[in-house]
Amino acid sequence: MLFFSFFKTLTNQTVTIELKNDIRIRGILKSVDQYLNIKLDDVEVLDLDKYPHLSSVKNMFIRGSVVRYVMLPRSEVDVGLLEDATRREAANQAGKAR
Amino acid sequence: MERLPLNDNPAQAQQQQQQQQSSQQSVLGPSGPMHPPGPPQLPPQMFTTAAQLLDLTDKKLVLVLRDGRKLIGVLRSWDQFANLVFQDTVERIYAGKLYADVPRGIFVVRGENVLLLGEVDLDREDEIPTSVTRAPFEEVFELKKKEDSQRKRGDKKRYTELQALGFEPEHSGEILF
Amino acid sequence: MSFFGFDTTLPRDRDRGPEATRGFFENPDPFAQVAQATALEDDDAIDFEDTYDGLGDQLDDDQDEFNDDTFGGGPNIKPVGKDFDFFGRTAQVADAIGEEQVRYSLQHPQAAREPLQPNVQTPAQPATISTAATSKRTGYEKYEDPGYIPDLQAKSSVWGISQKKPTEPAASRKMMSLEEVEAQMRQHGQSAPNVPAQRLPQPLADPSYPIHPQHLPTLPDGFPPIPPEFLQAQLENGALPPQMPPPPPGVPELYGGPGQLPPGVPLHHLQNANFPPQNMPPTGSRHVGPQPAQRQQQVPPPATRGAQSGMPVITTPQQLMHLTEEQRNAYLIEDAKRAKRNHKIFLLSRGNGLMTPQDKNFITRIQLQQLVAAAGNVADSDPEAVLAEDFYYQVYSQIRGAPRQHPHQPLGHFAQTYLLQTGNRLGGHGSRRAFHSADNHMQRMQQQVQRAVEAAKAKPKNKQLIIEGSLGKISFSNAKAPKPMLNIKRPDSADGAKPKKLQSDLSLSDRKSILTNLESVYNALMSMEDMERTMPPPPEEGDAEAIQEHMEWRQKVHSLNQQLWRALKVMEPIVPSSTTPHPFIALLSYPKGKKAIPRIFRHIDQEQRVTILTMIVVHLDSLDVVRLAQPVPGEAQPSLAVREAIDLFSLAIMPSLLGYVNEAPFNIIIGLLGLVIAQTHVQTVARTKVGLGILTMLLSRAEIVKEAGQASERDWQQWVEKFNVLFDTLEPALNDIFPGSINSGDDMYVWQFLAAVGIGASPEQQQRLVIAVKDRVMETVTYSKTLPADMASQRLGNVNLFMRAIGLDVELLG
Repeated sequence: MLFFSFFKTLTNQTVTIELKNDIRIRGILKSVDQYLNIKLDDVEVLDLDKYPHLSSVKNMFIRGSVVRYVMLPRSEVDVGLLEDATRREAANQAGKAR
Repeated sequence: MERLPLNDNPAQAQQQQQQQQSSQQSVLGPSGPMHPPGPPQLPPQMFTTAAQLLDLTDKKLVLVLRDGRKLIGVLRSWDQFANLVFQDTVERIYAGKLYADVPRGIFVVRGENVLLLGEVDLDREDEIPTSVTRAPFEEVFELKKKEDSQRKRGDKKRYTELQALGFEPEHSGEILF
Repeated sequence: MSFFGFDTTLPRDRDRGPEATRGFFENPDPFAQVAQATALEDDDAIDFEDTYDGLGDQLDDDQDEFNDDTFGGGPNIKPVGKDFDFFGRTAQVADAIGEEQVRYSLQHPQAAREPLQPNVQTPAQPATISTAATSKRTGYEKYEDPGYIPDLQAKSSVWGISQKKPTEPAASRKMMSLEEVEAQMRQHGQSAPNVPAQRLPQPLADPSYPIHPQHLPTLPDGFPPIPPEFLQAQLENGALPPQMPPPPPGVPELYGGPGQLPPGVPLHHLQNANFPPQNMPPTGSRHVGPQPAQRQQQVPPPATRGAQSGMPVITTPQQLMHLTEEQRNAYLIEDAKRAKRNHKIFLLSRGNGLMTPQDKNFITRIQLQQLVAAAGNVADSDPEAVLAEDFYYQVYSQIRGAPRQHPHQPLGHFAQTYLLQTGNRLGGHGSRRAFHSADNHMQRMQQQVQRAVEAAKAKPKNKQLIIEGSLGKISFSNAKAPKPMLNIKRPDSADGAKPKKLQSDLSLSDRKSILTNLESVYNALMSMEDMERTMPPPPEEGDAEAIQEHMEWRQKVHSLNQQLWRALKVMEPIVPSSTTPHPFIALLSYPKGKKAIPRIFRHIDQEQRVTILTMIVVHLDSLDVVRLAQPVPGEAQPSLAVREAIDLFSLAIMPSLLGYVNEAPFNIIIGLLGLVIAQTHVQTVARTKVGLGILTMLLSRAEIVKEAGQASERDWQQWVEKFNVLFDTLEPALNDIFPGSINSGDDMYVWQFLAAVGIGASPEQQQRLVIAVKDRVMETVTYSKTLPADMASQRLGNVNLFMRAIGLDVELLG
């Protein structure tokens, strides 16, 4: 749940998502769910010329399983906190495995 | 959203109630009013597939499948796996600088095949980019078949070479478009 | 009633009769009906009437005897037309209805919050049914008998054709009262021809939307588009004849007045069996329907349309005539666009609501339950469980000042912990902010030095050094410190080069063990922070149990402290000339090791703090920020990675150390300076920002202690001895302590250091100091003349800090 928890904090931030088929989409992250499906608003498709079918799209639902990268605004990530969250997650997992 | 099983906490229940009152506007709506200082802690139901698909329901969408198909239709129903039901679907085939539409009717799509769903802006949808022109289906289809087999050959070659170098293709052999 | 045939109602809601809860798939053979529909129409769209299962026939009509009373009808009464005065009639029994409603909602609180479901046997809802009756009679002539209606509603919920419409009115808009609506309907009824009782052929069959515009009434210019629901409904039940005349001029006001009436209300009233009566007590969530958020996107409410285009709201063609040419064109273009969009929406809307709000809620609920299950704890209100699974989000939104969802969550401590950290903007918050806070640290240091300078100036020890021949002319050298004629970079001395080489070659296993240590530090640290949150309230006198609890808590904290201390490896023996760095110093070479220090300092005692400070001082020249920051000939500044490490050290560790040093007793300061001299290669240390920073810290603290009169004569003698050794060691290197060339900027810390040396120096030492750095002073003064005023004054201010420490001022240099 760490990534889910993490992406939740990026709600309403502008992110760029690269899919496994190389499409890159920039938009405002409106929501994320436990499968890391992503809802983007006000999307802008980079290299739109190559993807004419997306020319009139304004909002988008992207399935988590096809996402390759998510590029985030660095200033919105609290690295120290994220490190601790990771430690807690690891401890949780270890606890559950036992 | 009433009677969610998570209401045990009175504070939350109260909040849900407030939400209930504003539910004339939005039951799950992610577009609820934002409180100015910092991002408010959002209710858990906002972070569900359901909330994401909710405002796409009964709208004209373009659905891109993992195999590269582009379907344009109206989303009528869905579930938590993003299994989808599309009505009045038209498949739009692109090849080269051409495209063609094929009426398809109702589509039930298993969630794993979904790549993305885009909401079509009704004001802009008729502005087809100048880079493509409409052509008869047969013509586009022929061209597409040619393109596909060409790309498949290219992909296969590339994957073989990559594999020889010890790289596993990103989607374990499955080709995404 | 989900699409996949789940029964989405909860058990407690299942008591309303089979018709209400049965979904489409519970029909004996649902697909037969689909097939039938397809055969009939050769289309995907299934008409309601083709799938109607006739369940209404099985209804129990026994308790209908009051229908006539309620509806004002009777067997001999002629059919009710559109001019039926429902309001007038129900007004007569309004009190009774109201009472029934209240009673019902008291008895069935859950049901009252439920979306409205048909229930013909509930006396509390007669109004609903009566509306249904009127609409049915105008539209579905096939089903004359009121007994069909409840079933009709159930079916329509499956196909979502009409059930959602009642929620159409947005809460913010003023609703027309039923009375007003009916008045308008009666008026409308007079001007419009009677609705022919015939069905249109299914016009929406082709997926390529061959819905013909001629089916739509022609709209006069300026007439707001007919709500799609209206058209849809008309087409569905065949109520709209192709030759329907354009609406009379008076009608547009009915839709056009924004803020008066949501589009389609009267028509819903006509068409929709499920329309909730407007004059009933408010029923809150009884409105069933598509989420208005979605609605808003597709159909901008009329009220905002006018505002969007910046146009006056046009309700009659006459109004249009009064506009300027430009406005009119703009309006017409906007209007055409709107009409086009609304037409599209109308085309899309004919399948709306296939998925009911209940379905959507059901799926949402499934997902929420999955989330709770994943958290491994059903009690969602347990803040610890929420924290465990959602730590980052919970704490992050707390830090960013978000209103909390669970106000009782003890997040304050976490926020404190990380605010303390991120308040300094440790890492991850963009380099600009990091530099900013590094400046803050420099300012604190500056203040300390300034205090020392001010204190020293109160008793000037060298009145003679008043620019005899000003700085520029002092060119003499003395025997002890001949002016260096050649500025040859000193080759890295033996012990300068050795650790560098060895320590950069840390073996993989060393790295791994260091990082493992670091993780155990953090684990202990986080446990301690958790403990802080669970601190029991201070026990009262005599409350043995509370005292016991408190004791146990303290015991735990103590053992965690020990665990942390062991993990830090501070007490590992120092092995002289070892090839591997001391384990504690190794920890500090990683960014997360540096970041841990301020958090650690919160949880350890003074003795432990001085131990850490001592370890750092003893190993000053093997710290990464000193070792790797040695100036390299030909390079103006260290590499980016090293500079980042230095910044991090300055803003994470230095404040903690400074905080301790500011309170440290004099003998500790003396001891620390002795350690620097004895254990480290002073010239190496002095060539770096961190090294100079620590020396400045010690020197200025000593001066402050002395000026405050807290130093005994013996201590002071000891200090002066050490100081002299330091001075003599440093003097030949004083030219090398400046970073890069004059224009590389950041040399403030050097002037701070020189100031701190200057205060403590004897007059003779001050002379030597001036000689050593006068070139740099002059350069800076000259250079600052080429700079913008604010930068120039900043640079001169830095120099002046030093000048004033030795009783001079840059002003005197002209």
